Amino acid sequence: MAATAINAKELHQKMEQGVVILDVRNPDDYQEWKIEGEHLTSLNIPYFTFLDDNEAVFDPLPQSEEIVVICAKGRSAQMVANILDEKGYNVSYLEKGMREWSQFYHPVTVVSEEQFTIIQVNRLAKGCLSYLVISEGQALVVDPNRHVDEYLRLAEQENASIAHVIDTHLHADHISGGSELAEKTGATYYIASSEMQDSSLRYEPLEQHKNLQYGAVQLQVIAIPTPGHTPGSVSVLVNDKYLLSGDTVFVGGLGRPDLGGKAREWAQSLYDTVFKTIAPLSDEVLVLPAHYADIKEINEGGCVSARLGEIRKRNEIMRTENREQFTELVADTAGATPPNYEEIVQINRGIVHVSPDKATELEFGPNRCAIHHG
Amino acid sequence: MKADIVVDAKGLSCPMPIVRAKKAMDGLQRGQIMELETTDKGALNDFQAWARQNHHELLKAEEDNGVIRFLVKKG
Repeated sequence: MAATAINAKELHQKMEQGVVILDVRNPDDYQEWKIEGEHLTSLNIPYFTFLDDNEAVFDPLPQSEEIVVICAKGRSAQMVANILDEKGYNVSYLEKGMREWSQFYHPVTVVSEEQFTIIQVNRLAKGCLSYLVISEGQALVVDPNRHVDEYLRLAEQENASIAHVIDTHLHADHISGGSELAEKTGATYYIASSEMQDSSLRYEPLEQHKNLQYGAVQLQVIAIPTPGHTPGSVSVLVNDKYLLSGDTVFVGGLGRPDLGGKAREWAQSLYDTVFKTIAPLSDEVLVLPAHYADIKEINEGGCVSARLGEIRKRNEIMRTENREQFTELVADTAGATPPNYEEIVQINRGIVHVSPDKATELEFGPNRCAIHHG
Repeated sequence: MKADIVVDAKGLSCPMPIVRAKKAMDGLQRGQIMELETTDKGALNDFQAWARQNHHELLKAEEDNGVIRFLVKKG
C-alpha cells in the first residue's frame, strides 16, 4: 500500500470539511509561507525528522483524523505519507506540493444581480483576487493572474465571451495574465499608460476610457484614478455599487505605497485617494479588492469583501485626516517587499520574458502587497 | 580541510540529498567531516535546518555554477 496523491482542488475540498495538514518543509520556509484555512490544523515537522528511528516523532499526529502531507514539490511529502500509511494513519499527500498550491484558483460568485454577475477568483496561496464581471454574454476580467486558462474556462461555463481585460495597476507581486488573456480572446487590454513605461505590449490607455459599457444593459464601469499603491492605480466602479479597488483599499487596510522607492510621495497620493476620491462614495458600496492579507478577511460565503462603511469604521487609517500622521502611518508599516518584485514588474511591462517554470519560481512565496492597519 | 566522506548527490531532488547525507553521517564519528554536493536549490534551507536539528555543525555552504557544496562536521 502506498499513500494516495491528491491535487490542489481535492485538498481545498478537504480544507472546507476540516483536515490536518502536516507540512514537512523546514521551519523557516514554513514560517515564511504556509497553507492557511479556517477549518484546518497545521503542523510542521520537517521530513528529515522522519529519517531518525524515533517513535516520538509520531506523537503530535492524530490517529483519528485525516492528514494531508505537504512539501515544496511533493517528493518529500510522498516519502513521509508512505511512512505514515505504513503505520496505519489516514493519510494522503499533495502531489506537487506548494508549487501546485501556488497555482490553484477558487471561483466564488459574489454578486448575482438580474443584469450581471460578479465572480471573485481567489488564488489562495498568494492572497490574490481577480474578477469576472459578466453581463449578457460578455465578460470583463479584472486583474487576471498568469494562469489564463482559469478565466477562459470560467467564461465558457458562464456562456460569456471575454471582451475587456483591465489591470487596475502594474502588479509587483505576481505575473499578470492581462495581456495574454486579451491576446487569446481578442479582448481589449486596458492599463494606465503611466504604469507602462518602455512597454512593448499592446494596451489601451485606461485613462482614456473613463466609462465602459457592454452587454445590452447599461452596465457602467468607471475607472477612478486611485493613485497611492502605484501612480497609475485605478479602481473600477460597477453600477455605482461595487468598487473593484485593486490594491488601493483592502478589507483590512490600504495598499503599500513603497514599491516605487518613493514611499512618502506615494503615501501623499494615497491620502488624496482616501480623503478626496473615495470619500464621496456611499458607505453602502461593496469593496472587492485585488488582495487580502489574512484568511480572516474571507467571510462566511467564502468571499473577500466589505462595505466601504465597515472598512471606514474598522480602520483607523481611513479616519486619520491629518496628512502628516497618515503619511507616517502608511509609509512606515510596509514591512518586507514581495519576493522578486523588480523582475516581476519588468515582466508585466513586457520588457522581460520568462518560461512558465521560471514564472512559477518567481511567484513562489507569500503575497506582501497588502498591509494590515489595525 | 579534508572531508572524511564525500557524497555526490548531484541530480537528485529533495528528499534524496538529505537521505544520503544522513546515511553518510551515520557512519562517521563525532568531529569527522562530510562533504556533499547537490544541485537541488531547495537544499540550502533544508541542510541548515537539518544540521541544527541534529547538532551537526554546518562549516560551509558554497554555490558554484549551480552546484551547492556543503561541509558538515558531525556533532
